[in-house]
Amino acid sequence: MKPSLSSLLDYYYESMYPLLKALEEKRLGIIATLKKAALTLFCGAAFLFVFLTHTNLFIPLHAFLLSFMSGFLMFMFVYRHERAGYDALFKDIVIEKMIHFIDSSLLYSKVNSIPEHAFKQSELFVESYDRFVGSDLVRGTIDGVDVHFCDLHVEKKVRDNDDKESWETIFQGLFFVADFNKSFYAKTVVLPDVAERNFGVLGSWMQGINRQRGALVKLDHVEFEKVFVVYGSDQIESRYILSHALMEKIVQFQKKIEKPLYLSFVDSKIYLALHYTKPLFEPILTRSVLEFNGIREYFELLMMITGIVTEFKLNEKLWSKR
Amino acid sequence: METFLIVAGVFLLILVFMYNTLISKKNQVDTIFAGLDAVLKKRYDLLPNLIASVKEYMAHESITLEKITELRTKALMGELKNSERIALDKQLSSMLGNLMVAVENYPVLKANENFLHLQGSLNELEEQISAARRAYNQSVNDYNNAIEMFPTNMMANFMHLERKEIFSIPSRERQNVDVKNLFQK
Repeated sequence: MKPSLSSLLDYYYESMYPLLKALEEKRLGIIATLKKAALTLFCGAAFLFVFLTHTNLFIPLHAFLLSFMSGFLMFMFVYRHERAGYDALFKDIVIEKMIHFIDSSLLYSKVNSIPEHAFKQSELFVESYDRFVGSDLVRGTIDGVDVHFCDLHVEKKVRDNDDKESWETIFQGLFFVADFNKSFYAKTVVLPDVAERNFGVLGSWMQGINRQRGALVKLDHVEFEKVFVVYGSDQIESRYILSHALMEKIVQFQKKIEKPLYLSFVDSKIYLALHYTKPLFEPILTRSVLEFNGIREYFELLMMITGIVTEFKLNEKLWSKR
Repeated sequence: METFLIVAGVFLLILVFMYNTLISKKNQVDTIFAGLDAVLKKRYDLLPNLIASVKEYMAHESITLEKITELRTKALMGELKNSERIALDKQLSSMLGNLMVAVENYPVLKANENFLHLQGSLNELEEQISAARRAYNQSVNDYNNAIEMFPTNMMANFMHLERKEIFSIPSRERQNVDVKNLFQK
């Protein structure tokens, strides 16, 4: 049975609250440590600045930059160290418990992610990347459907005109993989329709010549066509996968989520990527963990993800997939 | 002279582009129709088994069964035009739909493992046929647009290309297929 918000409230007070209280103490301790560190390092930096300007070794601007930059870097070191421990504890106490509350058969690993070959196989993002970082892998079976999902961040290295190196995000957010309810051999990719929305007919023409993606599949669902662009290696099979019912569900899901949604159907699997601008399961250090609203947000996010199976009716398998 | 050659070259290029576009759209229709035909054939292959397994239970539906056999024979007989195939397929789909509704009156048949398997396969084929029809309609729509829109219509007239007919999609195919309803009755 699907857990409800009221059953979460019971679970929250019965099973989570005592642990959360301990976690809250830890959080307050970290904030106190960070405040102390900030004050100490600020004083240290100020002292160093005065010392450096008096010794005439540096001009005041350089002395200022050197002292306060080193103070800031040291603070960041302390912050990261404290934060890492807190994040891990939060995930053990809040995220893992909540996943087991939603479905006790699901397995959670805070450090693992989906394998890189699954990301490549999805063909959702065809750009080459230099950094692939994932965490919070959840795997298991929901309503008889094998699922994997995790928080993923994929980046590439770029150089600007001054040859300065920086990291550019290719994808950040939820990456979800599940068995699809139909068998198929061709590849179909559904992407947000940026070109047609921005450039109209010209955009539509540009989509038609995107050879990297395969042939453009024009679909007979007006609303779906407005929001998404579809490429596929087989015109018939793409329509076999994207039935009217599924297109309708995808449109409704997109409206509900209001985030860029990418889907692909490869090797009888559905790959879904939902773009977020921040990590999915990391705590906000400045917010109390005892606030139920915060817990509710994580619960609703997890319910949305695990609900994809029923939302897209992946559990209603066709004959040959049974 | 040079200008004339450039203009003539550009004009020739446009003609080649229009010709190739029309041919590629025409071939696309043929390719997708071949795909549709392949799925329809799969359904024709399944029909003798289906009829054999339901015949003894559904004595009162002999007319429907005979009609299905007759349509299958007609479809496999030989050279049919695309439009004739489309009409035949429409009739067959409607007869099969009637047959599946009639199955509800035969509880013993509904529990038969072999029949359930055939019904499952048939349902999947129906979904594939529906997808192929939609793909075919889209390709015909692109083709019809190309032969009617300016300036490709002039080239199409010259090539004697004619409008093609599209499938009318039955409204039930636009609805969500209720798999549970089909299998768990």
